[in-house]
Amino acid sequence: MSMAAVEVKDLVKVFDRIKAVDGLSFHIDEGEIYGLVGPNGAGKTTTLRIIATLLSPTSGEVKVFGIDASKEPEKIRELISYLPEEAGAYKNLTGMEYLGFMAKLYSRNPAETGEIVERGISISGLGERLNDKIKTYSKGMKRRLLIARALMNLPKLAILDEPTSGLDVIYSFQVRDTIKRFVKEYGITVLLSSHNMLEVEYLCNRVGLLNRGRIVAEGSPGELKASYNASNLEEVFMEVSR
Amino acid sequence: MIKGLKAITSKEIKELARDPRIILGVTVAPLVMFLIMGYAMQGIFSQVEKSIEQIEIGVINLDRGGQGKSLIENLTKLGVKVTELESAKESDVVQQMKKYNLTTILVIPENFTENIENHKGVIEMYTVYRGGVTEGAKAGRISTIIEQIKRIWSPDPFTVSENSIVKGKIIPVSPNILSGLVMSQNITIPIVIAIITLLSMQLAATSIATEKEEKTLETLLSLPINRFSILVGKLFGSVFVAMIGAVAYLVGFNYYMSSFNAPGAGYVELSEIGLTPAPAGYILIGISLFVTLLFALSLAIIASAFTEDVRSAQALVGYLYPIIFIPMFLLMYADISTWSLPAKIVVFAIPFSQPVLAVRCTISGDYLIVIAGIIYVSLLTIAIMYIASRFFATEKILTAKLALKRMRR
Repeated sequence: MSMAAVEVKDLVKVFDRIKAVDGLSFHIDEGEIYGLVGPNGAGKTTTLRIIATLLSPTSGEVKVFGIDASKEPEKIRELISYLPEEAGAYKNLTGMEYLGFMAKLYSRNPAETGEIVERGISISGLGERLNDKIKTYSKGMKRRLLIARALMNLPKLAILDEPTSGLDVIYSFQVRDTIKRFVKEYGITVLLSSHNMLEVEYLCNRVGLLNRGRIVAEGSPGELKASYNASNLEEVFMEVSR
Repeated sequence: MIKGLKAITSKEIKELARDPRIILGVTVAPLVMFLIMGYAMQGIFSQVEKSIEQIEIGVINLDRGGQGKSLIENLTKLGVKVTELESAKESDVVQQMKKYNLTTILVIPENFTENIENHKGVIEMYTVYRGGVTEGAKAGRISTIIEQIKRIWSPDPFTVSENSIVKGKIIPVSPNILSGLVMSQNITIPIVIAIITLLSMQLAATSIATEKEEKTLETLLSLPINRFSILVGKLFGSVFVAMIGAVAYLVGFNYYMSSFNAPGAGYVELSEIGLTPAPAGYILIGISLFVTLLFALSLAIIASAFTEDVRSAQALVGYLYPIIFIPMFLLMYADISTWSLPAKIVVFAIPFSQPVLAVRCTISGDYLIVIAGIIYVSLLTIAIMYIASRFFATEKILTAKLALKRMRR
């Protein structure tokens, strides 16, 4: 059995007396694409932020590849890449400079930096536009650049909050394809959140349905549909969100 | 009326007026500043009043006739405490001042009585000038008393030639003129330093706020970069701007100082009479300004971490204006050498006093105070950087704005 990439046990996060996450537990196997799905305010982004070491748990345990997120967050940051839902990029840099800056943080030498940037160029599909300043990019172009940034360094765990948010149908399809290909080719693990049930069904090996800070149902898309006697994940989602 | 103007104006006013940070920033800061300025002005007026209350002068009377003696009697009658320096010569003026702890000496020449009859009499007046603003007032008061005597005697019986003694050197220029020049330096230098500090702080304050506004902070914090490196990297970026500011200041300051000329018996430059810093002094002023800017930038970067956007960051930095302006205004008008020790310590403890003090102290040659100030501000900067790095290591960098919101509720 492969090692758990992510292990979350009894996770609680309280902000100003509001319980954003309330005793959440789940695990993700290495090489798996796991989707967190739930209504607005269910605690998805807070959970992703805790796993990405941006927030500390109020109680409970989070381990990424066996490393405790509360004790050694720096070690976890070496292994992950996190794409926030509303992420931006430095508007006065060119797309190429941005990829170069990010690549340098993960590489040990210029050759490796070049390799990472090449991968980024290919994932982004932005071609010549990479030489333009980011402030001239459309919302979709910016998102493609950010997805390229998140995947190009081949993280052991990619945490993607609404990866295709703001992308049109064609690019959403391409991004989903890239994620699937990267998992297959490089064995990376992906934890994503999405409101797009089609995307979740297409991408995820397993899905955790989150409501009011807790997992209310978990399984493969097929298993969930079968147990709720639903024809698609949207119906399952509606059922458990009630 | 232009279409929509009323609606957009009303929206703008609501948005600005409902932000307590902006309202407080634009009302409290000027109120506090003017209160402090008023207090400082009162202080300087009382100093001037005190200095002219009891005038004490030394007189070297070399006159062979009786008019010299008569002048001394008239001075005494008009309330001036006169110390007659019996055996002194005019060339002994500086030495006599030190010996009798005097700040003004009048020299009545040998042929004063003879010349006075021809309306050609000249008295030499020597006043010690230490760079303060009270010496000029004192010399002015003595001149007024002598004018009174002249009016009693006959129209224009003699003239008074005023001289200043700066750092033991006799300069044939009235201390009133020097005092005026130094006063204008005292006002301009703090203003320029304050402007550079504020501009740099405004720039630095946007560094983290921009990351938040542009939604790049979360990504940045999830990267394998030491949080302290992020802070120091941001500081270095701002330091680059501050250095340009410090260099531009020094170039401008040098030009400004060289433009101060005192018209007198000859054409005197302040730099020639020691009322501008020596070259080593300029280096110390530059370092002092640089470390103070570094401190200000660290403070601005930390303050901006508590805000959610650039406008809030700039408004928050506005709260720091009083602590920049207060010492600068105080030093602008007041003669710190006359202050009590606790007051001096308080002014020294405020980092923003340091560049202004550095200018004053390098002119007076008190380099040790400037060096102590540089060490003090550097240590303070390291301390707040350390505290900031501890803050950056926690989730507070992302959630601090929530805490502020709670405070406002």
